[in-house]
Amino acid sequence: MTAVLNGNSDLARRRRIGITRLVRHSQFALLAILVLAFVLASLLVPYFLTWGNLSNLLQRNSIIGIVSCGMLLMIILGGFDLSVGAVGAMSSVAAAALVAGVSIPLGIVAALALGLAVGLLNGFCIAKVGITPFVATLGVEVLVTGLLFIATSAEPIYGVPESFTTIGLGKIAFLPIPTLIFAAIALATWALLRFTTFGHYVFMVGGNKDAARLAGVNVDRVTLVTYGLGGLYAGLAGVVLLGTTGIGQPASATDWPLSAIAAVVVGGVPLSGGVGSVGRVVLGTFLLGIIANILNLTGISPYWQPAITGVVILVAVGVDSYQRKRAGRD
Amino acid sequence: MTEVGSSTDLRRENHLLELRNIHKSFSSVEVLKGVDFDLRQGEIHALIGHNGAGKSTLIKVVSGLYPDYSGSIAINSKSVDLRTPHAAADNQIAVIYQDFALVPEFTVAENIALGREPGRLGGFLLPHGDLRRRSEREIAEFELDVPLDTPVRHLGVAGKQMTEIAKALARRARVLIMDEPTARLAPHERTRLFEIMRRLAASGVGIIYVSHFLDEIKEVTDRVTVLRDGAVVASAATESMDIEDMARLLTGDEKTMVSAARPVADKCQERSIGKAILELIDFSVHGRPPANLALAPGEIVGVAGLVGSGRTSLARAILGDIAASGTLRIDGEAIGKITPGRAARYGIAMVPEDRKLTGLALQASIASNMELTALGTYLGYWGLVRRDLACHVIEDAIDRFRILPKDPGRPVGHLSGGNAQKVLMARAALAKPKVLLLDQPTAGVDIGAKSETHRQIRALAETGTAVLLISDDLDELLSLSDRIAVMTEGALGAVVDTTNFNRSTLLAAISQNVEKCRARAD
Repeated sequence: MTAVLNGNSDLARRRRIGITRLVRHSQFALLAILVLAFVLASLLVPYFLTWGNLSNLLQRNSIIGIVSCGMLLMIILGGFDLSVGAVGAMSSVAAAALVAGVSIPLGIVAALALGLAVGLLNGFCIAKVGITPFVATLGVEVLVTGLLFIATSAEPIYGVPESFTTIGLGKIAFLPIPTLIFAAIALATWALLRFTTFGHYVFMVGGNKDAARLAGVNVDRVTLVTYGLGGLYAGLAGVVLLGTTGIGQPASATDWPLSAIAAVVVGGVPLSGGVGSVGRVVLGTFLLGIIANILNLTGISPYWQPAITGVVILVAVGVDSYQRKRAGRD
Repeated sequence: MTEVGSSTDLRRENHLLELRNIHKSFSSVEVLKGVDFDLRQGEIHALIGHNGAGKSTLIKVVSGLYPDYSGSIAINSKSVDLRTPHAAADNQIAVIYQDFALVPEFTVAENIALGREPGRLGGFLLPHGDLRRRSEREIAEFELDVPLDTPVRHLGVAGKQMTEIAKALARRARVLIMDEPTARLAPHERTRLFEIMRRLAASGVGIIYVSHFLDEIKEVTDRVTVLRDGAVVASAATESMDIEDMARLLTGDEKTMVSAARPVADKCQERSIGKAILELIDFSVHGRPPANLALAPGEIVGVAGLVGSGRTSLARAILGDIAASGTLRIDGEAIGKITPGRAARYGIAMVPEDRKLTGLALQASIASNMELTALGTYLGYWGLVRRDLACHVIEDAIDRFRILPKDPGRPVGHLSGGNAQKVLMARAALAKPKVLLLDQPTAGVDIGAKSETHRQIRALAETGTAVLLISDDLDELLSLSDRIAVMTEGALGAVVDTTNFNRSTLLAAISQNVEKCRARAD
């Protein structure tokens, strides 16, 4: 009997190794594509491999990277957030008004608090009211954008002191400060998912909500906190955005939700929830970033950029999904 | 093990779980009518009963899912209130359902600790090493041999089940309720499960074992309680009963013909293949044993078997919804690769098992649900709907199938189960099929709708439709079918004239494991 069972677990082990290898493989594949794109761009695209350009590449993608880390949490939970753009714009405008009028610390704290509050509102609508993430976050996005336009009469807010742009444009050595903030957020998110009970519960709720509830996990609270964090990250990204422009622009950041979801998905994290890692999100963010950068440098019309991003998303996700579909059929 | 006839004092002393006079009703229908049940320490106690006899309701009462039961429940002679799942868990009751409550991406160790993760810094940090070590320690004494570091997603059914058992034991469960635990297990996994069940019982755990497999009950349990129509009809030591006794108690059939219970395989008498409308030749689904079957026009062939025996898969494979190998012939013409679309054009229609999930578009009207299949044929004209004809046909069908309310525009989701089922039947009939596959056509409908459905099935057969009838309802199979085949673990047995069966022999035939059948045939 034991022999039979050992045979079984051998089989399971073999399957496990096979699947693990595949998963690792796909992560390596992503890294390989990123490296290949980098090398090709270095050889073929003029000015790509310069300190100026690389620093620019890092700086430009760090904001969406921060948003993507929050998006990752919500996607692992089995949802996503369409309101991160509105939250970013709102935080950036609120920070601009307070930094210009009162003080820098108050501006930053208020922007973060606003982001957290809107995130919690998303979580409340989803967990307590029972609205699907798509509709809840879409509704909140439209609501926040509307309120923002009422409050500002759609006028940008000026008067942010020059010193504040250190947050967006400053560098330590050759590393842009936004990139350092992104690195800190990525590291913190990784640690949150890896070492904390809360991170464990995010995976658990995303993997099997019913099992989590039956095991006594407070699914509503986990949902609430996760969306709260997503909003907080978006608020932080809004502050960094203000640091790069110096102007509180109500109509900014509209592309954030889809860009962040794209970065997560291109990194190979399925929208079905229960799985995902920060490493994949970093890879996905920079893969899309390098492609955009190459298009900029080669002088190809900027209109091509979304089209090519679309192709990258469909190919990256399509290969994965098609394999899954085939595996499911057999 | 305590004997049945021991003194009341002794029995009380050993009672782990004691249910007295349990009642439970759904709206006005009383499902449990004063059930008494007790489970002793170290006992494996079978709970058997037909679909609808009340056993899953009883289990749900014990697991705290029905707060509105009446009656008294005692654990270790201490009265308890099991009104929530938490109350059940606190009283060391664990239920292992057929669809497991596991997180697929988590390892076995993480699933064992689900919801009870060890924490540091007031539960903020999760030490994965501690978690794994604790899970290992908690289940060490039970020698379950589960791969602690493997994600559950990579385990088979047996591994997932073992993980659930480990999860229950790690919470120090003393009452383990297992709902059809062997339904999807391979024979050697089943043997292994029984070993573990016996070992757990020896260590003092009480196990309530729900199963349709009477021979397994004979093999592994100490006591049997039989439920029929919401009441206990018998409770006795397993060794005092044989399988035919149990079958008789289940069905309430007094005049059981034990001597007539000949092995199914002896009674093969295939009809002439020539006039068959549907033929399956070495038709194999998912590498299961090949099935051979011939259906003549106007014939009703019943397929009996347990849940999970592969009946639905067979029907879906005939419809082309899941892949199969072998030959499928319609009217003598071999069809290559079959898809649901091709099947419809060849005149194969199916009424699926789950009305709400796979059968009907619930938001859509009676009319649009009904015309769905026929639109592809005579109700459609170059992609346009022949609305005048459709209206006429639909109103006619509503009358003919006695669908209430007689309102073609009413969304199907607002109908009762019986009327929704009639809509499905009407849809199949409107497609004028040559072959009709029925999967549990009367599950969960009231008696009126049931006899109505039976009348329609007969009427369809009289017009020349060949019917394959999958059902758990023995009376339905016996009264409608011309011939019956028993399916066990994916293998379709020989098709036999219905006259060779009565309720008890049919039940006995479907409740045997395939090895037993083979052993008997040898």
